[in-house]
Amino acid sequence: MALLTLEGISKRYRQGEVEVQALHAIDLTVAEGEFAALVGPSGSGKTTLLNIIGGLDAPSSGQVRLDATELTALSEAALSDFRLFQLGFVFQAYNLVPVLSALENVELVMVLQGRSDHERRARAEHYLELVGLKALMHRRPAALSGGQQQRVAVARALAAGPRLVLADEPTANLDSENAEALLDSMYHLAREERITFLFSTHDPRVMARAERIITLRDGQIVSDQRPHAAATA
Amino acid sequence: MSRPHSHMPLSMLLMLAWRNLWRQRRRTAITLSSIAIGFGLAVLAIGIGDGSHNSMVRNAIQLGEGHLAVQAPGYLEAPANYKFLADGRALQARLTALQVAGAIEPRISLQVLASSANNSSGASLEGMRIDSDPRVAMLQPKLIAGQWLTAADQRGLLMGDGMARRLKVKVGSKVVLMAGKQGGDSQAQLGRVRGIFDSHVDELDDYLILSDLPFARYFLEGEGGVAAQLPVTRFSLFLDDPQGMGYWKGVLRTALADEPVVVLDWHEMMPQLVQFIVIDDVGNYVFLGLILIMVLFGILNTVLMGVLERTREFGLLRALGLGRYQLLLLVLCESLLLSLLAVVIGWAVGGGAHWWFSQHGIDFSALMGGKTAIAGTFMDPVIYTELSAERVIQLTLLIFCVTLASGIYPALKAARVTPVAALRT
Repeated sequence: MALLTLEGISKRYRQGEVEVQALHAIDLTVAEGEFAALVGPSGSGKTTLLNIIGGLDAPSSGQVRLDATELTALSEAALSDFRLFQLGFVFQAYNLVPVLSALENVELVMVLQGRSDHERRARAEHYLELVGLKALMHRRPAALSGGQQQRVAVARALAAGPRLVLADEPTANLDSENAEALLDSMYHLAREERITFLFSTHDPRVMARAERIITLRDGQIVSDQRPHAAATA
Repeated sequence: MSRPHSHMPLSMLLMLAWRNLWRQRRRTAITLSSIAIGFGLAVLAIGIGDGSHNSMVRNAIQLGEGHLAVQAPGYLEAPANYKFLADGRALQARLTALQVAGAIEPRISLQVLASSANNSSGASLEGMRIDSDPRVAMLQPKLIAGQWLTAADQRGLLMGDGMARRLKVKVGSKVVLMAGKQGGDSQAQLGRVRGIFDSHVDELDDYLILSDLPFARYFLEGEGGVAAQLPVTRFSLFLDDPQGMGYWKGVLRTALADEPVVVLDWHEMMPQLVQFIVIDDVGNYVFLGLILIMVLFGILNTVLMGVLERTREFGLLRALGLGRYQLLLLVLCESLLLSLLAVVIGWAVGGGAHWWFSQHGIDFSALMGGKTAIAGTFMDPVIYTELSAERVIQLTLLIFCVTLASGIYPALKAARVTPVAALRT
């Protein structure tokens, strides 16, 4: 069953005097539990599409549905609450609040969700342990490496219990070792928690881990493959 | 079905705001220092202003007609020798029965023509109890020639050095005081100069002649007063607690409602002094206003810089589910904490300086050069800063509101951040 459904998503915006068509009538469904990658060259519309799916940007036309919720029909405040309770985000960089420790960063979203002290502490520690950072949980972001910061962001995204985690080029600023560690964390958590992951990347290592690869070019989906399924077949 | 909402507990808000405040420690410290120094200066300036005003008022009350005056209706508007309280004895008894917390002094004020062998001049003759009147404490130390009056001296006069110069008299000289009567006749009394004072207040030194009450009362008897009834021009009341003036004014007005008298407070008796204080206060408030503008821009700079530097972070927070309103509250909270710190440090600096100068005073003698007379009274050259509880509350609220208000624009700016645009920065 489809968790995420996109119907005819287009996005146009003005860049100076020029109107740019960033996305052309995208139709896409993502099933619950999928570990899917959006790939394509720079400027192909990956980030724009993720922003629209995440309710951070509005499409010029088309509909985005997560389960039965039509995102494009929500008010700004409702969309903000929707993000808080249904979505998790991992951005390319600067994911964390600098004045909060790793533990506090993971707890932050759960604080906003109104979870009890005890529950959020337990969940935060659990997910930090899963990403291998429990020992460093009292460190602030400045005292963590880029890879560790991204893993904290993954722990934060998952600890909040989202339906869908959106990650925009999560390994872009990481070296191979850190990128591998982050991917391991994301993949295993996705499998264990049965959380749907949709991430943009043009990193071959990430693509290699993805169960589904959706390729975008010039704002259109040009291919949608399931490499592991083909290999298995 | 109601959807779940974002929830930001106050403790989290305060914690984030506090830590954000100290991200740029140096900037925050410099801002706080400038606010504290500015606020300290404002407290000191207001303290000096209030201290000097209160000193002037105290002196004016002692030299003048007290905190409250009971006198004939119309005397204030058009003073005349015939407007007096005929039965001073009975009125004094009624006042005494009220058990006013303070001293009640009978006074006689007359417009006279003073003549010596050499010259004549208009003068103001003030009859008073020469042993207990508060003027004794004020003017006796200002004697520059002769001696103070004694009870046995029925014809003795004291005058200012300006009047003495004008009449060309010295201690021991005879002076004839002549007063016009309501019927058109005149009456005169002979006095003798016993002492000359120099109060440094021109209005006193050039026009004032002091005598014991019985001497001045001769003129009231000439106006039809009966000596046995102890007629006086007014009763001046010197309250132990000046804060009780309003209360006692009400008590006197009620108690003396059946008497042909008016009860006036010093504000009504000395409107020119009140006006001077108001104008001087305006000057102090302009100075305070300038300080507050400086404070406002100082905080605006700190908080706005902090907001502009964190655009991406605000975008992240908005993406994670923090509402615009919560972001606005967060930045306002930062201003609130900065305001609280500014008030505390400002009071530590300003309050400390005020406490020191309230104990040790600030000596303005060199600046004033002996010219201490202002608005018909004089200011003590050593000023002890004074701040009333009302002033403390007023200043605290002012600085607090200004610092808080300076956070509004940055807060609105933060709340307007859109996640997509902010995350691109």
